[in-house]
Amino acid sequence: MIKIALYGKGGIGKSTCTANLAAAFASLGKRVIQIGCDPKADSTINLLGGKPLQPVMDYLREHEDDPERIEDISRIGFGGILCIETGGPTPGLGCAGRGIITTFNLLEQLELFERYKPDVVLYDVLGDVVCGGFAAPIREGYAEQVLIVTSGEKMALYAANNINSAVKNFEDRSYAKVRGVIMNRRNVENEEEKVRAFAEKTGLEITADIPRSDDIIRFEDMGKTVIEGDPECETSKRFFALARKLIEEDK
Amino acid sequence: MKNVSRIIPCYSADTSGVCSALYELGGMTVTHDASGCNSTYATHDEPRWYDMQSDIYISALTEMDAIMGDDEKLIFDVVSAARDRAPAFIAVCGSPMPMMTGVDFDAVAAEIEARSGIRTFGMHTNGTRSYIEGASEAFLDIVREFVTDCPKGGLGVRSPLNHEMSQTLQRPSPISDNIGVNILGMTPLDFPWRGTMDSMKRFVAESGFEYVSCLAMGSSLDEIRRAASARVNLVVSFSGFAAAKYMKERFGIPYVCGVPFGKKYAERVKCYLNWAAEDKECDTVNERGGEPCDIVIIGESIGAVSLASALWHENGTHARVICPLPTDREILADYDLTLSAEEDIERALHDLAPKTVIADPLYRYIVPRGTRLIELPHFAFSGRCFERDMKDLIYCDIPF
Repeated sequence: MIKIALYGKGGIGKSTCTANLAAAFASLGKRVIQIGCDPKADSTINLLGGKPLQPVMDYLREHEDDPERIEDISRIGFGGILCIETGGPTPGLGCAGRGIITTFNLLEQLELFERYKPDVVLYDVLGDVVCGGFAAPIREGYAEQVLIVTSGEKMALYAANNINSAVKNFEDRSYAKVRGVIMNRRNVENEEEKVRAFAEKTGLEITADIPRSDDIIRFEDMGKTVIEGDPECETSKRFFALARKLIEEDK
Repeated sequence: MKNVSRIIPCYSADTSGVCSALYELGGMTVTHDASGCNSTYATHDEPRWYDMQSDIYISALTEMDAIMGDDEKLIFDVVSAARDRAPAFIAVCGSPMPMMTGVDFDAVAAEIEARSGIRTFGMHTNGTRSYIEGASEAFLDIVREFVTDCPKGGLGVRSPLNHEMSQTLQRPSPISDNIGVNILGMTPLDFPWRGTMDSMKRFVAESGFEYVSCLAMGSSLDEIRRAASARVNLVVSFSGFAAAKYMKERFGIPYVCGVPFGKKYAERVKCYLNWAAEDKECDTVNERGGEPCDIVIIGESIGAVSLASALWHENGTHARVICPLPTDREILADYDLTLSAEEDIERALHDLAPKTVIADPLYRYIVPRGTRLIELPHFAFSGRCFERDMKDLIYCDIPF
């Protein structure tokens, strides 16, 4: 099973990359689960025709008892992808990290992996590894690999470096390892050189190079991924290439 | 609001269950919690504290430790203490604050084990679940780690059952001598510490069995290491159920759920143990007259079902069980209830209108007026308040 967590600076395109990668895996015939780990709960929206999914935290808020079925807290999206959103507390209140842990415990209780038997699980994690809750997706039993999404912007690279350091802190534990970097281009000056310099300094590979493209925005406005909207375009090809590479490595 | 108790207390928490289960086994139990909380686990919930030493520690978690997620301090302190104490194993338990900050106890335990060379268990306690869940996890870990396969005890000699019973139940002729038996799920949270094991060992010996070990009251870790030499397990509380299932799967040892309360029911438990040892089938000794019931028993599932069955065998009375703790439906009768919320228990007692309720004295306040309450103190519910009045009903006459 391929289990990957995507991390990166807020607004850098993690959800876009995750949803497109999920769609690419699904189009290649894989059984995929995407779990959005963000209180905004919009990770899977473009796999679901633009219609938001009720997050697990909202379900728990509205019901006295825990859900008894995976179907109660998930929906099937493009390509048969099982979509789940952790959601979180009211902004400014509570503990979002704890919400992720609670959701993961619940998914374990519902025997998600045993029952759904996925080939691929993707975790789309909010921003940085800011606390124990946001490290939950890289713990033993969850993601095995981390992909860091970054552009050539200074703050995106700064966040990428923090994420890499945070994951390294857990070297003694059986946690996920950083697989590489997804360069999600913003067309800033000398972007490729900056990202390459970061990758070389940290010993990471640039695993994918996603071009800046209006196609992404156009299809997202329609509630779709690029893979769904135009599987032949250059951006889709890059995501397919990344998916194939990860499948090949998993063999 | 559901699960909020306005009148009755809650049962001892999972952390207390772990501490109680491991108390006599020579390990070191560390709870990651604020200083001062140790008294809850080690004294309020532990009657052995003043008479028997055990390495139970608290990490003295501070606000800054929680904010900073300083796992290293916890790991260092545990490893350091373990070097001084050389325990047989280490168990690291969570509490509410580490639950909120998401401490990964599996990973912490792995690091402690790597540095200390001592087998370490990360317990998934958080202080919000019942003692049954904590004790259950601890017993399972102990059995998985320390019990290894070994030859079974003697094959035994067939001896006749009580004639009337053997005719009624049409079961195979039992073996009664030299069958090794483990007792699983025994802690002072459910049974009076003083006297219980003497009664249990007397039952085992006089029934013609061979006592192998008890998980975990009055038994050493060395005795438990030999547990796979037993031919049958007697599960006396739901805390021992997971370990029993594991031993059935791993070593093929069948289990019987039941506490040998009274004399006649104890005889039935003996029969079931014999049958289980012979045909390898697992069962609960749940023999009652069915509905309608004049009596309601509130308590831990295996103990309450055993008491209900004992009352039927002793004097033909019909009792229903209300189980407020985790259990498996198969242990209970169809007409028994699993209710954990105070309001649900209160409503059920009102609707069922039993003549008699048998429960811990602190249930008095939700028992309907005019209903007789027979007080049966339960340490996991009322702690030391009624400890002196706890009754040992094993293999003796039932006083009500």
